[in-house]
Amino acid sequence: MGLRKPAAREALHEVVERALPRDIEGLCAQLHLGNEAERRWAARDLAGVAAAVPVLGRRLRDEADPRVREALFTSLCASAGEAAVDELLPLLRGDDAQLRNGAIEALAAMPRAVGPRIAALLRDADPDVRILTVNLLGELRHEQVTPWLLQVLREDAEVNVVAAAIEVLAEVGGPEHVPALHDAVRRFPADPFIAFAAEAAAGRAGGG
Amino acid sequence: MRSATATRRPLISDADFLKFRDFFYRKTGIHFDESKRYFVDKRLVERIEATGADDFRSYFVGLRFESGGAELQELVNTMTVNETYFFRETYQFDCMVNDMLAEITRQRRPGSRIRIWSVPSSTGEEPYSIAIYLLERWRQIDDYEVEILSSDIDTQVLRQAERGVYSPRSVGQLPKPLLDKYFTRTGGGDWAISRDLVAAVEFSRVNLTDPADTRRFRDIDLIFCRNLLIYFDDLSRRVAAEAMFDAMSPGGFVCLGHSESMSRISPLFQVRRFADAMVYQKPLEGGRP
Repeated sequence: MGLRKPAAREALHEVVERALPRDIEGLCAQLHLGNEAERRWAARDLAGVAAAVPVLGRRLRDEADPRVREALFTSLCASAGEAAVDELLPLLRGDDAQLRNGAIEALAAMPRAVGPRIAALLRDADPDVRILTVNLLGELRHEQVTPWLLQVLREDAEVNVVAAAIEVLAEVGGPEHVPALHDAVRRFPADPFIAFAAEAAAGRAGGG
Repeated sequence: MRSATATRRPLISDADFLKFRDFFYRKTGIHFDESKRYFVDKRLVERIEATGADDFRSYFVGLRFESGGAELQELVNTMTVNETYFFRETYQFDCMVNDMLAEITRQRRPGSRIRIWSVPSSTGEEPYSIAIYLLERWRQIDDYEVEILSSDIDTQVLRQAERGVYSPRSVGQLPKPLLDKYFTRTGGGDWAISRDLVAAVEFSRVNLTDPADTRRFRDIDLIFCRNLLIYFDDLSRRVAAEAMFDAMSPGGFVCLGHSESMSRISPLFQVRRFADAMVYQKPLEGGRP
């Protein structure tokens, strides 16, 4: 007993025998057929495989196990691009909070691909989608984040969307954005929360 | 001739510091209090000048909106002190021998195997510290077969780890009796670790973000992955967390560096608070992350 150096084959053993071949077709099939561990491995092995992105997205919508979902999200992040964005955006409209939050985190990891979709998302008829989009902006490394937030302050009719934008602007904005915050307060004169949030944001932006 | 303004160093205002501190904390989990103000300002100014930014504001905007994360990585490297030595952050080793191993062995028969993975190994100080801690401070060491695996992406440091020769500074935190017991003085004034300890650790080259490297690791009960993830970008952190999760036995534990947080990387693990340390646990079978 005590310390024991493992034999190489014991410590770093080969993967167990597989029921399906480890090619794209086999892995895509395993995404739907295997147990939780096998589905996770299939998802991880498909990371960065462009042809598998639609399959990963479909599986995400059907997958109930959060451990497998996490692997699916991570693999979609590794395949960042328009196709991955196409698979992730519909999740923002779903009822499953874990999927919505996972989608925001994954989309935030692909700023070049999601950037061209932001304008349309900020015009979405569903205010919940617009709020989630603002939340996404809070995580997104993109040079247009501030202009998009200012657009929300100027144009969005829904007070909760504007409040979310003020919260994000509090962090990314500067003194030059204080007038936009004051304009937003004037758009919602009956809402004391907007005034409070804008005042706090102006203070953090250095103009309060 | 350059004007006086052209050589003026950027200033970091109180508001700049607070804004940067919040941002850096969210991205790395590293929190700087006021006592670190001089340290932070000095390194921020270095990065502002190195990138050619006009001032803090333009640097911060560039930092926040860059797509690749390269400057954030530079900043992290600048803001962190990458050093290792024997018995570094021993509170997690205390947690290992006082609590985590007790949980791991609760369902194990005496004589069964316990597998510990130290990654990155760097030059070996951490895996050897784990070995010494187990031999010296875990009463049940003779009841189980403990395997220590240690990996790094850098083959040069792996060679140094297997060579096992350390500077006086590297062994400076070791209690003298342990230094005398497990090391011998070399002619050059360094300290050579016992070959028995070298023989007890299995070193290997692994890129934690490459599934082809990590899929070979299975049934790990305890992972020490300290002060590595702060150097990764967001995607690599996620991939590394996935790799650790699949390498572990249900109920196994992960120890990260004191400034790192798995909760900000992945929902796969549960937070466990013990008397000596907060660690992360892979849920037992049937448990949900």
